Amino acid sequence: MLCELCNKSEAVVHLVDVSNNSRAEKHLCKDCAASQGATIKSHMQKSSSSTKDAGDVLPEIFQNLSATSGAAEAEACGQCGTTYRQFRSSGKFGCPECYVEFNVKVSDLLEKIHSRCEHTGKVPSTASDDLAQQKELQTQQKRLQGLYADLDKAVNDEDYERAAELRDEIQRMQEGAAGA
Amino acid sequence: MELSDLQTSPGEWLGGTGPEADIVISSRIRLARNLAGYPFLSTANEQQLGELERMVRERLLNTCRAEGMSYFSLPSLGPIDRQFLVERHLISRELASGKGARGVGLAVDETVSIMVNEEDHLRIQGLCSGLQLREAWERVDAVDTRLESCLEFAFSPQFGYLTICPTNAGTGLRASVMLHLPALVMTKQINKVFQAVAKISLIVRGLYGEGTQASGDFYQISNQSTLGKSETDVIELIENVIPKIIGFEKTVRTNLMQQKREVMEDKVWRAYGMLKHARMITSEETMDLLSAVRMGVSLGIIQEVKMDAINELFLFTQPAHLQKQKETQLDETERDVVRASYIRKRLQQSD
Repeated sequence: MLCELCNKSEAVVHLVDVSNNSRAEKHLCKDCAASQGATIKSHMQKSSSSTKDAGDVLPEIFQNLSATSGAAEAEACGQCGTTYRQFRSSGKFGCPECYVEFNVKVSDLLEKIHSRCEHTGKVPSTASDDLAQQKELQTQQKRLQGLYADLDKAVNDEDYERAAELRDEIQRMQEGAAGA
Repeated sequence: MELSDLQTSPGEWLGGTGPEADIVISSRIRLARNLAGYPFLSTANEQQLGELERMVRERLLNTCRAEGMSYFSLPSLGPIDRQFLVERHLISRELASGKGARGVGLAVDETVSIMVNEEDHLRIQGLCSGLQLREAWERVDAVDTRLESCLEFAFSPQFGYLTICPTNAGTGLRASVMLHLPALVMTKQINKVFQAVAKISLIVRGLYGEGTQASGDFYQISNQSTLGKSETDVIELIENVIPKIIGFEKTVRTNLMQQKREVMEDKVWRAYGMLKHARMITSEETMDLLSAVRMGVSLGIIQEVKMDAINELFLFTQPAHLQKQKETQLDETERDVVRASYIRKRLQQSD
């Protein structure tokens, strides 16, 4: 399928907007979608970017879409500047924040190393006060991930009404989190 | 405490007093900890390293008075003193050969040591004689708990204690048991142990930990995974498997004594004879011969030497220990002469 706007490049972005019971589809190539500033949110986004405007997120998605593994590996920790590539070659993180910055990749990696990715064991007494709060946050993040997965499935199944519901629910959760 | 105060005794963990001490030399627990708000050592600059060391050192000395904690800054120690601490398993080879501000806090009885700026900001280690992982854990846990009241450790509810290498994240705990397994080595069955422990995610290492050669038939069994299992679960896993390995070694020893008594006796007495009469002996040969004698003492083939004397010899014949005794630097050949003479003297004393 060619892009609806330029009719030249292959359409790789398929936008479906469901609002007020009407449904509109757009099929765009990468460049046209970018120039349109299309309001889609990545469901690959990191938790830390959830407060960003959709417009800011879009270029990130394209980066993700077109990303060879190289681009993803160039991602650097905002705290210490260590890139994922540096980490991969040395096996050493740069600072405790790297675990947060590379969260998704770290989860996968830890799962591979230890066959598990959730800590059970000693908790520093100073951390136990914040722990309940953080656990709550984690539960929410997991729920959000689940919703994104459902959204993915709904879009694949072309069940756009369900997708719209899920999109609204995700939005509500994110607004709730931002307001909290 | 001065380092020279240590050199006359072998340290509590080598005393041979713990449970199963004829096969289990020692039990060791180490925790990896890092301070929140500081970069890991991979990216920390010189100034941060210095700041970190000063802060940890001060808090360490304040909170661990009960252990009679002394602190040694590595750059201020000479190469022999550093090697001396490695030989006693109080610091790692990495800390000894590292660069920049770093040091070690030592409890007066050497059962607890805390390395500062090794791979992680802190490595808290507990050492006990024989099979006593739980005791080692209790000591380390108590020190860790006291330290966390004055130092904020990098911790995430999801990933646990955050470490420079993801292989240590979670509990940050490595539990190791050092075993003396000469009969399994002799009968070439030691590989069966490697294979069996690998199935339950445990690993086997040499005498001085990661990447070191097995020497004197000593092997360390330790956990690989640090995430998703509690400290006590990991300890239990190892505690459950060690008796099986001990049983295996003992069975093989008994069989050897029944089927090849002369061969066993000859091996042990020859080793003893060499140690008693050699005029020059390398560290490596000493380890091999002492290993045979140790097994001989355990089996009652030799009764004129005590186990603790043999245990001490394993430590006191190492290069840095010999040089500390002589209070001078010795080259390899000189060491071989001094070593042989020291062993002769010790074995004559126990006659």
